[in-house]
Amino acid sequence: MAKQTVPATRSKKGKKGKVPAAKRTGGRGNRKLPLILAGVGVVAMVVVAVLIIASQLGGGDDAITADAVEGAAETQALLNGIPQEGIALGDPDAPVTLAEYADLQCPHCADWTEANFAMIVDEYVRPGNVRLEYRGLAFIGTDSQEALRTAHAAGDQNKLWNFTELTFQNQGEPNSGWVTDDSMRAIGSSIPGLNTDLMMEARDADEVQVAITVAEGQAESAGINATPTFQVGLTGGALVVVDLNTNDQDAIRAILDDALADVT
Amino acid sequence: MPHPMRAAVIALSLVGIAIACYLTYSRYADVGLACATGGCETVQGSRYSAVAGIPVAVLGLLGYAGILATTVRDTVFARAAAFALATIGFAFGLYLLYVQLFVLDAICHWCLASDAVMTALFVVTLLRVRTDYLEEVRAA
Repeated sequence: MAKQTVPATRSKKGKKGKVPAAKRTGGRGNRKLPLILAGVGVVAMVVVAVLIIASQLGGGDDAITADAVEGAAETQALLNGIPQEGIALGDPDAPVTLAEYADLQCPHCADWTEANFAMIVDEYVRPGNVRLEYRGLAFIGTDSQEALRTAHAAGDQNKLWNFTELTFQNQGEPNSGWVTDDSMRAIGSSIPGLNTDLMMEARDADEVQVAITVAEGQAESAGINATPTFQVGLTGGALVVVDLNTNDQDAIRAILDDALADVT
Repeated sequence: MPHPMRAAVIALSLVGIAIACYLTYSRYADVGLACATGGCETVQGSRYSAVAGIPVAVLGLLGYAGILATTVRDTVFARAAAFALATIGFAFGLYLLYVQLFVLDAICHWCLASDAVMTALFVVTLLRVRTDYLEEVRAA
């Protein structure tokens, strides 16, 4: 039998440190390797398929649902009674305008908002000294674009700032597919006075696209390519980029106070 | 001295283990990855960075360690097992590369380095298995 003669022959020819093939096979020969390869392929495909399915299922627990929108009551209390119009929050006659360039998927934007937004609203917007403009950008990915369109659609009902604040508070992992019709509806339905059906329909309106394009143009002309970035200036006048991207609230107050000092 | 291809498997496995250890450490110690673009944080923080609650970095570590373990004995079974593990790692790496490019829109350099190592392991372990077959065919 040819197979049985192989071990002796190969052993004599085998180099030092190299185990002859027949020895590795235990003397039985290795002609079944095509079968082994096929078996490996099948096993690998099954294991990888299981891994991919498990990977796709991951993160489902983080889905935003109507009864799990964080911060709904606090946001309503914070913004209640403050005028909103489209992208603007605050008294239209406020002497200073603060523009925020942000991406709703940007984790730093969410962190900044959590740390500073309430202070700015309470100390500057509610008293009528500063009005805010949300100049939304969507450069991180598809989820950014969908969230931004929905925010502008909420802006049609003058609830953009409620929507952006809640979206930041309930932000998912970037581009993980967390922005869905269901999650947008969930956030919308947690905002008192917002018609969620109208909001969802308005996402594809021309006005929404125009608002997005305008903000992109403003960012481009100001050389803004990162978020969050802020501009401040007299309302109706030219805005200049300021370094508000800090959690040092005294530094933020100093910049806003400087802008207000220019008014008088 | 081990056979050059066996030595290559050992060396590549050790490089893979080093990368996976760093990624695992970064995840559990909650320290940032050395990454110029910031894409590493996006990938590492995404839901795709874990499978059934197990970090992908840990799965990679287990995979590389498994391949390294197969080099202890040079048998057909060990070679086939190494090839199977490398094939799984290679195929899953391709899926994760797709996720980075087309879902997350972010690239993790460390993941790419691991993909390169696993691809090399896939090729070398395939060649080792094929060598067995060719030797037997010639001998027959």
